Amino acid sequence: MTQLDISLTVNGARHELSVGPTEMLTEVLRRRLDMTGTNRDCGMGICGACTVLLDGQPVSSCILLAALADGSEITTVEGLERDGRLTAVQEAFLRHGAVQCGYCTPGFVITSTALLEENPSPSREEIVEALKGNLCRCTGYKKIVEAVEAVARAKGDGVGVS
Amino acid sequence: MDCRYSRPESLAEAVAVLCEAQEATEGEAHLVAGGVALGILMNEKLLAPRWFVDVSRLAELKGIEASEDGGLRIGAGCRHREVERSPLVAERYAILAEMAAEIACGRIKNRGTIGGNICLADPQGDPPVAVIALRATLRALGPKGTRDIPATDFFKGLYETALGPDEILQEIRLPPPQANEGAAFGKFSARRAMDYSSTISVAVRLTRDPASEQILEIGLGLGGSGETPIWAKETEKAFIGRRPGDECFALMRETLFAEIEPLADDLYSQDYKRHVAAVIMKRTVEKAWQRSGGTA
Ligand SMILES: Cc1cc2nc3c(=O)[nH]c(=O)nc-3n(C[C@H](O)[C@H](O)[C@H](O)COP(=O)(O)OP(=O)(O)OC[C@H]3O[C@@H](n4cnc5c(N)ncnc54)[C@H](O)[C@@H]3O)c2cc1C
Ligand code: FES
Ligand code: FES
Repeated sequence: MTQLDISLTVNGARHELSVGPTEMLTEVLRRRLDMTGTNRDCGMGICGACTVLLDGQPVSSCILLAALADGSEITTVEGLERDGRLTAVQEAFLRHGAVQCGYCTPGFVITSTALLEENPSPSREEIVEALKGNLCRCTGYKKIVEAVEAVARAKGDGVGVS
Repeated sequence: MDCRYSRPESLAEAVAVLCEAQEATEGEAHLVAGGVALGILMNEKLLAPRWFVDVSRLAELKGIEASEDGGLRIGAGCRHREVERSPLVAERYAILAEMAAEIACGRIKNRGTIGGNICLADPQGDPPVAVIALRATLRALGPKGTRDIPATDFFKGLYETALGPDEILQEIRLPPPQANEGAAFGKFSARRAMDYSSTISVAVRLTRDPASEQILEIGLGLGGSGETPIWAKETEKAFIGRRPGDECFALMRETLFAEIEPLADDLYSQDYKRHVAAVIMKRTVEKAWQRSGGTA
């Protein structure tokens, strides 16, 4: 079978990997690198459970060929905490009850983190717009939006992915 | 089945590799730009690729620039997000930013390319509708050289385009904006986000004759209204030399109903889709008319 040598920097650590040309990034993260924080649900780009940052931008890893990410920097939910401390976004999700079953949470946290990096004080409308492509079957979204709003009001302190 | 993967370093090399790959796989080779559409098809087991030709890093497919003739050139490899946020697009072809803003969500716009979308030729696709209305030229490179294809002549059938298997879409070329021009994009969807199954979209570009306050020229593209993105050629004629108003829209409705054959789906019947297409077209023409400086 054809294999490609690629290099991925995941949460700051560089990995040299040999992947198949049809392998998706979600599988590489979960199976090869044992990082199961990135979830997979629809496998069609629709739900956002598999969202990771690719060079700082949110993308659906379930439909991203790992080969296309060669040479990129990837941030997964595992890479957000610093020295065992959760980020302000993660803390706010807990405090506001924005997590129930938790399956969608990594995708929401990653997408919210990217939003606040780009725009530290988004309006409610801007938060809803940024999160409109992420599906949650439990919380009803209200608490998720409130959590992100709370971080925005606190001026994005502690949010950082670099 | 085994799949090969090539990452040519230039567009010319990509054409050569694509020719070789199509020959070796009997037409089962695929260009990869954002990989969004291909990713879904693979996960759904609708595609078993034999050879990928990765064009995602080619400089020749990137960038948005003013062209020599006063128009705009958009590289096929530009992502939806770039089109949405480009100052050049906003200044001169705001309809494209309006259209790109309506695609899926940030996650998809950060990967999907305008060229990949056009070449996929999904009947629901939004960029095809806009390039038809704007009378864009689609420039392709193949083994026999460069070929300019009018966007109105590009969409041939269900997921079929005028491109040969060995041709690569290089750029989208837009003609210079004219005086008294107005353009708008309108979309109907059941959900505000991520709806990509039963949407109906309309792109309109028109020029207004200030002397007669009538429509001088018009371009109409329609999505979700048939097997391909549609150039509503007959409906365009119904607008020429008329002023948008009740009489004009009644004629539009009649012509449009005869011209399109939307596919019924789980949500809507063909009749309902025709009706919605006419409503969205009316609203979008009104918006374009106002933007051209015309009064309601
Ligand atoms: C959840 C979701 C929602 C979506 N919603 C919308 C929506 O609302 N509106 C909309 O318009 N689209 C929507 N899309 C579709 C998306 O915009 C397209 O799939 C995407 O733009 C395709 O671009 P790509 O670069 O990823 O293409 P790829 O997957 O890389 O390629 C698509 C096809 O084009 C060919 N191709 C790519 N580049 C070239 C080239 N330069 N020359 C010749 N052939 C080429 C490929 O071989 C392939 O056949 C949605 C997609 C998803 C996943
Ligand atoms: S699993 Fe990737 S978007 Fe749903
Ligand atoms: S918390 Fe269960 S899906 Fe969102």
